[in-house]
Amino acid sequence: MNAKIIRKKDIASFLDSLLKDYEVFAPVKRDEVVAFDRIRSASEAFLDYTNSAKPPKEIALPQAETLFTYSTTDNTASVETPPPQDKLTLLFGIRPCDARSFLLLDKVFNGERYKDVYYLNRRAKMIVVALGCTKPGATCFCTSVGGGPFSSEGSDLLLIDIGDDYIVQIITDKGAKLLEDRRLGNAGEGELALMRTVIREAKESMSPGIEIDGLKEKLDKMFDDPVWGSLSEKCFSCGVCTYLCPTCYCFDIIDEGRDSGGERMRIWDSCQFPLFTLQASGVNPRPAAKERYRQRIMHKFSYCLDNYGQIGCVGCGRCITECPVNLDIRQVLTTLFDTEVAK
Amino acid sequence: MTDPTNKIREVARKLLQKKEVELIIGFEPGTSPLQATPCFIRDKEEVDRLIWGSFCSNNLATYLPKRQEKVAIVAKGCDVRAIVELIKEKQIPREQIIIIGIPCQGMVDRRQIEAELEGKEILKVEEQGDKLILKGNNFTRVINRNEYLYPCCQACTHRNPPIYDILTGDLVEEKATGQYPDVIQFKAQSPEERWKYISDEVSKCIRCYACRNACPLCYCQECFVDNTHPQWIGKTINNSDTFIFHLMRAFHLAGRCVECGACERACPMGVDIRKLNRKLTSDVKELFGYEAGTSLDKVAPLATFRPDDPEEFMLNP
Amino acid sequence: MKKEVNNWEPKIVAFLCNWCSYAGADLAGVSRLQYPSNVRIIRVPCSGRINPFFILAVLQHGADGILVSGCHPGDCHYLSGNYSARRKFVLLKRLLEYAGLEEGRVQFSWVSASEGGRFADIIARVTEKIKALGPAKKLVKR
Repeated sequence: MNAKIIRKKDIASFLDSLLKDYEVFAPVKRDEVVAFDRIRSASEAFLDYTNSAKPPKEIALPQAETLFTYSTTDNTASVETPPPQDKLTLLFGIRPCDARSFLLLDKVFNGERYKDVYYLNRRAKMIVVALGCTKPGATCFCTSVGGGPFSSEGSDLLLIDIGDDYIVQIITDKGAKLLEDRRLGNAGEGELALMRTVIREAKESMSPGIEIDGLKEKLDKMFDDPVWGSLSEKCFSCGVCTYLCPTCYCFDIIDEGRDSGGERMRIWDSCQFPLFTLQASGVNPRPAAKERYRQRIMHKFSYCLDNYGQIGCVGCGRCITECPVNLDIRQVLTTLFDTEVAK
Repeated sequence: MTDPTNKIREVARKLLQKKEVELIIGFEPGTSPLQATPCFIRDKEEVDRLIWGSFCSNNLATYLPKRQEKVAIVAKGCDVRAIVELIKEKQIPREQIIIIGIPCQGMVDRRQIEAELEGKEILKVEEQGDKLILKGNNFTRVINRNEYLYPCCQACTHRNPPIYDILTGDLVEEKATGQYPDVIQFKAQSPEERWKYISDEVSKCIRCYACRNACPLCYCQECFVDNTHPQWIGKTINNSDTFIFHLMRAFHLAGRCVECGACERACPMGVDIRKLNRKLTSDVKELFGYEAGTSLDKVAPLATFRPDDPEEFMLNP
Repeated sequence: MKKEVNNWEPKIVAFLCNWCSYAGADLAGVSRLQYPSNVRIIRVPCSGRINPFFILAVLQHGADGILVSGCHPGDCHYLSGNYSARRKFVLLKRLLEYAGLEEGRVQFSWVSASEGGRFADIIARVTEKIKALGPAKKLVKR
């Protein structure tokens, strides 16, 4: 296997050297909350974390971004799109589940009929160095949805913590190119054996997963089932699950203008917000939490499979840890799986 | 000290049996040992799902507005205060609810515990009076629950429900009301320091509106953030807009906020949301002698006036 | 001590209630009373019409100071608009200043239709105060 090694004590200088060529985003701890932020020095990175509060999707799909600006004078008007970024972006230390999430977002924004230039520009400049999960969290269920604590999907390099060192697995050519001239040593047999132990122990320590084989077919027959009412009764549509979800991508487009000009922006939106489906006529086809929550589950576990061939969930567990009413998607999916479909 | 869990179950069973209510809203264990979760019970055979403990932090009053059926609700001091305000604002008739009041010793902040345990997974929690026994793989840790309370619970002056139909626990000692040491302390800082603190806090905000949706008193069908004609504030994470969002949400809760902390608990980014609410609560008390949710008879301060209201703040050369 | 010439002129927005304060301002004009020209007047039916968002929006757009003025208590054309406003204003002023907005940027007054001189005096005082505070930066939207 093509694996390099880097001593933990050398990680800081490795990161500092990367800072010369890339805008580096790494986990940063601020008042007990971990989020991905731009770092200017390796010392700001905080790698001893389970997962961040906000997912790194905002680096490719920002919470708010300008699509174009316009300005007017007495007899002319001009429209300008912001220039694409030219600096390379390095996502350092993200988890394999988050790395995988970009693959789904790529399918959405790089479709046959429509290509989102804003998103694609950012993705083209992005390189991902993921950090495998030696201590998966209690709410992680990546293995139930096709991922894993050491999955390499979506990464260019994958770091695996084996104690005093990190094994560096080279996943893509982009990753290999990053390591050119960085002079990392090759991982030895002993170190690779240690890596295999770490991987095995991490997988064994994970909470039991959930069964979703065959769930889609079941869901497709259950749209009108009364179980949705009782499942979603405690949800008060706060939207946290969607904002923190690495695979959620709904957005709104707004204009902010003054007399002399303004800008059109894209901002995050949430299908859980009560006004998400409010129509100009005043009709709202998803008036209650029941319809909205059903939409969330159906979208992630059925419609995404139809449209993109991939489940719309990477099992990161953020929606479970952050939901104010502890509406646990694992419990929901298990209940749905066990519900007898009415004939 | 009576065990509230059994009392709550007993009360719930009787109410459903006698068909006095169609629904009980209470708490059941969550999917992690440090969490409880709201539950909705309609069948008297299911009342044993109900529990009471240190993690029953949600304000269940948020589920009351516009309910059609007769409902019994498990409510702590702050929850009942929210219910009182909702009744006064005509969101739910008093006759439609049966308040199962429960004096509260404060709710335990699981994130404080998780932070201290630095990722070690807790598999079981036992409560013994003031002690919480946390058990995980190869470790047991005993903590004093009073050292891990939510900030809103530490400052709480209304642990006992101000009104109730049934009381399921012994009344507890209350702190003196009208004390706002945190507001006084913050005010002592310079305007620049205060501005910086609040700006830094709101810079963490991602405008997910979880605080608004978790708040039992934020029940507007269309919030000011949603208005486009006129657009009061922008919807992006621009600092000025976000600052105003928090200022105005607090202002819309002036004299209505019951300091249950639902907003802070819902916030995924750890924003100090209650900072501004506390100022308004202390001003409403000082200027108008009013505390939200303590009396069904007192009119909300911004719905009335007195000819001799304070006006020292005005420019009067 | 050298005195520096300050070229900056503050922009002050005054929300005046139609029946009292606006009439008072009108009287000041008719009486040819001098007051600083930094103020831009917005006429509203009643001080009770003032939504705190008006004040915040004006600050976002870069105004350096705000005055809201209505009828004296007891004289409101709509009977109790100014009473409601008084309660809102005291809470809003205290909240804004607690959040760190400079004291004196947002001010409230009562001016009756016959108080042209009082109006001019109040505008002069507010303008002087805002000049001393300098340009408003805190809530300006960028």
